[in-house]
Amino acid sequence: MSLPDLSALSSAPVEVDIAITGRCNLRCCYCYYADEMTARGDLPTDRWLAFFEELGRLAVRRVYVTGGEPFTRPDLFELIDGIIANRMRYALLTNGTLLTEERLACFDQGRRRARLDYIQVSIDGSRAEIHDQSRPASFERAIGGLRLLVAGGFHAPVRITVNRHNVGDLEETVHLLLDEIGVPLVSTNEAFPCGVTERDAGRLILTPAQREQAMRTLVELADRYPGRINATAGPLALARQFQMIEEAQAAGQNRLPGRGTLSSCGCPFSKIAVHHDGTIVPCHLLASLRLGTIGVDDLRQVWQHHPTLQALRQRHDIPLSTLPTCADCAYQGFCTGGDPAGALFLTGELNARNPMDCLRVHRGEDPFYAL
Amino acid sequence: MPEQDITRYIVNPDVSCREEDADGALLFNPDTDEVLVVNATGALLWQALAEPRRLADLLAVLSERCDHVPADQVAADVSEFLERMVARGFIGVYEGGNG
Repeated sequence: MSLPDLSALSSAPVEVDIAITGRCNLRCCYCYYADEMTARGDLPTDRWLAFFEELGRLAVRRVYVTGGEPFTRPDLFELIDGIIANRMRYALLTNGTLLTEERLACFDQGRRRARLDYIQVSIDGSRAEIHDQSRPASFERAIGGLRLLVAGGFHAPVRITVNRHNVGDLEETVHLLLDEIGVPLVSTNEAFPCGVTERDAGRLILTPAQREQAMRTLVELADRYPGRINATAGPLALARQFQMIEEAQAAGQNRLPGRGTLSSCGCPFSKIAVHHDGTIVPCHLLASLRLGTIGVDDLRQVWQHHPTLQALRQRHDIPLSTLPTCADCAYQGFCTGGDPAGALFLTGELNARNPMDCLRVHRGEDPFYAL
Repeated sequence: MPEQDITRYIVNPDVSCREEDADGALLFNPDTDEVLVVNATGALLWQALAEPRRLADLLAVLSERCDHVPADQVAADVSEFLERMVARGFIGVYEGGNG
């Protein structure tokens, strides 16, 4: 007897990213929530709870709770209980500075702890002079919050966003986090020109040489700490991607399965995101692509029929050979074109390659774009 | 009477069910983070188990759908389904009043 066709588009998102607030107690230099976003108001509790009921009816499995800073919301645990009541799991992304023993004790009530996947804390340096350049006046509080999480037995991975301020401090940061504090996992990304970062890109975005340095350092660290440093984007992910291309070419291959099209990001097939004002978007980084409003638009309809989401899915079928930037590229058969958010920010088009993820650009061989 | 014949079963109310197409459904247990894919018959049993049901009730639900399969084979398959689902926490034994 047959089973459901799991290769088909699911009838609703599997996971949802929600920014429950636009408020934050920090002013990080690379935040993707810039002025226009923070000016919008937060949804009240009842609107979120009604949305969680909708997610429950759609059998969504997981909610990633972010912001802004989620712990600035006084009703945070009421919202978490709404997620749990609607048969979902959740994770929290925080700057760590508002974590206290009292707040963490709140997770002991009901099934809050059992349904929690992790609380991710952002740390951007091994000491205040480094971290605070990215995340002003917050190092001691963030590390204090992280230590409380680890001491409390929470699964508390850390995210490092690599930028010009901390690129020379990665080894020390990883040592602090993995060896001294004992966090289980560090994930890395890099600042790129969106939101606040756009205003100050010249002082934040890695130079080509710094990017090369970050790639080398993170590969070496990932080898030194097996299974404890990962990345889905940024220097480490790119280094692995480029290494794979070089190995495949050295082995005489001219393409790899599933590559050669703009297929970098799988999120449009499984995830959707909601801003703190209830605006539905494909992801928080594609903040300008409004798909609807929660409580007004039916999420299943948006998921299945919105032309922008459909375009993002169809992007996966666009051969790189049809793009002027990639038509004559020797790496075309190994490449997935990079993520759509980067493509949109840097080229103004979704159906373009993201130059930040391009090996030819990285090597300074690209005729269209220079870092 | 064998124990399974009098036991009543019911879905774990914390498990969500998404019917993706006519060929079955995806069950998700958020307490264990486990996903289970069931075929159309499993999905039918899942729907039936929204209320407490005995094995005999479930066999009756399937009687039309499975009329080409020997009855003892259907009973064995449903028993195995229940056993597996109970072991994984997707279905529970109903402990409410008799009815």
